[in-house]
This record gives sequence, structure tokens and C-alpha cells, in this order.
Amino acid sequence: MRHTLETMGTVASIELPAGWSRELVAVGAIFDEIEGRFSLYRPDSELSRIASGQLVLAGASGELLASYSRALEWRGTTLGVFSPHRPDGVIDLNGIVKAEAIERAGAHLQAVGCPSWSVNVGGDILVSPTGGAQLVGIADPADSSALLCSIRLGGSRLALATSGSAQRGDHIWRGGSTEPTHFVQVSVAAAHIVAADVLATTIVAGGPEALDDVTTRWDVDVITVDRSGALRASPGLRRALVADIAA
Amino acid sequence: MRTRAILGSILASASVLIVGYQAGTTVTMANGISVTESSTSAGSTSGTTASGPADGTYTGSSVNTRYGAVQIQVTIASGSISEVAALHLTNADGRSVQISNHAAPILRSEVLGSQSARVSNVGGATYTTQAYLASVQSALDQAGA
Repeated sequence: MRHTLETMGTVASIELPAGWSRELVAVGAIFDEIEGRFSLYRPDSELSRIASGQLVLAGASGELLASYSRALEWRGTTLGVFSPHRPDGVIDLNGIVKAEAIERAGAHLQAVGCPSWSVNVGGDILVSPTGGAQLVGIADPADSSALLCSIRLGGSRLALATSGSAQRGDHIWRGGSTEPTHFVQVSVAAAHIVAADVLATTIVAGGPEALDDVTTRWDVDVITVDRSGALRASPGLRRALVADIAA
Repeated sequence: MRTRAILGSILASASVLIVGYQAGTTVTMANGISVTESSTSAGSTSGTTASGPADGTYTGSSVNTRYGAVQIQVTIASGSISEVAALHLTNADGRSVQISNHAAPILRSEVLGSQSARVSNVGGATYTTQAYLASVQSALDQAGA
């Protein structure tokens, strides 16, 4: 059964087997809690109160500090290309909290024994480790109503995250640079959704150099679309392409 | 004997790759290579009287250079090398380098052929609520795919 929820400024699409719809309430509660804590669009969120100086970081919740520290770890491992800070210094955890929300939703569904599921929040997808491979599409950055390609998610590639400038303009901070990004869309398939999301953002922010660095240092597959429309793909992604032309 | 011949091929291939790997550093390889481990063979041995190397996949020694270790895997088919893959390289910082995972150009026609009508989900750069309505995902959700 397919369910949709509006959350975190976008739409979540959740696939559950028949008879498991009750878990939608718990998943929705996870999203609401995360939005209430991290949204910079809500003046009353914990992160907004820190940004405005009403709350000091030292007094923040364990959950917020955990996300912030995880984002800082990623800043370290990506050599600063991924950053949880806006150019104005405000802590912006948008680059990680949506993936964390998907991760928590997935962990919940596994914990309650749901045999097969998928969670798609705003185009970032996590599928269950049980229940077999799932076919997913990747949208064409030039036309969100068309597919660029389809791949198989499963095994060591349960997560697919896509970053880019196609939908929201150049929303990725790049050290204050206003130059257009080299890639307009980057999709990363990985074992974990947070890694996939952070690394997709890293490649958009860091360009071809970051692409080579990410495929070298992490066990991920990548497909990129640059400004001219040209594509690059890692060997694993090429192998994951679904070879059945629509009947 | 056969093993020695194959090892020779593997080391020759390794040298080629190392030279390629270090291209730009203008360092000669004369004193840089030392074999640190004995080789292992994972190939199937179908005949014992064959004159050439048996078909199969062979993993070469890990070879140390001053710029890091390199290990090569060679696939033998019909008595000749059909594929040489670098299993492991490390750079000067000790980071693992898997050049085999490099993202290479791919033609749009190659990926277009993969489009499936049976996808259950569509990934894309974060949809706003409005963009979602115009997306393939929205169509899938309405269809209850």
C-alpha cells in the first residue's frame, strides 16, 4: 500500500505491505518530531531558536547535538566540502536531517518486523534489506516528469540520494561561491541513506574533484549529470541499470 | 612453472599500472618495487598437461612502492590475459585507492535503455511540494504503484 505525507517542506511516499498501514502513524510522528526540532522555516524550532540566539548550543537537546556532531564528522571526512554551516555562520542541518529522518523511519519499520517497505522523502529513497531488490527510477533533471534511468536497489545498495540544482535552484552552500555548480544532478547509491545524501551533496558542492574523491574513498555508486547534459557513472551503477525497456 | 610465468605477467602488468599510476610524479621505478607476499591462485585447473596458463582468475602479490601498495588481479581466458584489474592501491597518505570505481562518461542512450515502467519509486533532487505534483513520483503514488 502506498501512502503519502507532507512533511519537512516536501512529500514523503511510503510503501508498506497490506496490513501494515498502522505503522504510518509512527513514521509520521518521527518526521514531525524532526521537523519541529530542525526546521529553519519554523521560528519556534529548536534550531531556529539557536540561530536567533534564544538558545545556546550548550543547552541544546541531545538529539540536536548528535545530528550536529554527525554533520561535523562528515565535514571532516569530506575535507570541508560538506558543511553544516551557512555562509552567515548559522547552523543548517538540512543537509543531513532529512536523511536521518528516513534512516529512523527505516529503523522503526525494521524493528517492528515489517517484511518489505520503502521510504521516499523528497526524492531520497531507502528500501528494506528484506523483501528483495526494488526497481527505482532517477528523475531527469531537465524534466521531473521523465526518468533518466532505472536501477535496482538491494543488497549493499539500499539507499539512493540525489542532490542538485534542478528543483530548488543552487541551494547547496559552496563556501559562499555563487558560481554555478559543475553538476546539475548527482545521485549516490550506498548502503546507508545518510552517507548517500551527504556524499551526493558533497559531489555537487565539490565538482569533478569531489566525484573522484568520493568514488575512491567510499563504497558507493554514482551517476552525475553536468550542465551540458553529459553523464558519468561508476561501474557499479552501470551494472545496476535495469535492462528491461518498458513494454 | 606455469605459476611463475603467470606471476611474470602479473608483475609486468603491475609495473605498467604503477607507472601509469605515478605518471606525473616523474619517478623511475627502478628501485621502488619489492614483493612482500607470496601470490595466491584462485583459478580453476582444468587440465594438467596444458602448455599455457590455465583459464581462471589469479591474484598477484601485493607490491610495495614508495608511493604505496598495489595488487593486481589477472583473468586468463583461452591461454591469454583477458583482463587486468587493480584490486588495491594506496596513495602516499595511506588512503585506499580503488581506481576501478572511477565514474566514467556514459552515453545517454545507454541509460535510457534502462528506463523501466515497473519502478516503484523515483529519486530526484528534493522536490518542493509543488514540484512533487509534477513529478513521476506523484503519478506513481496516485497509481498506488
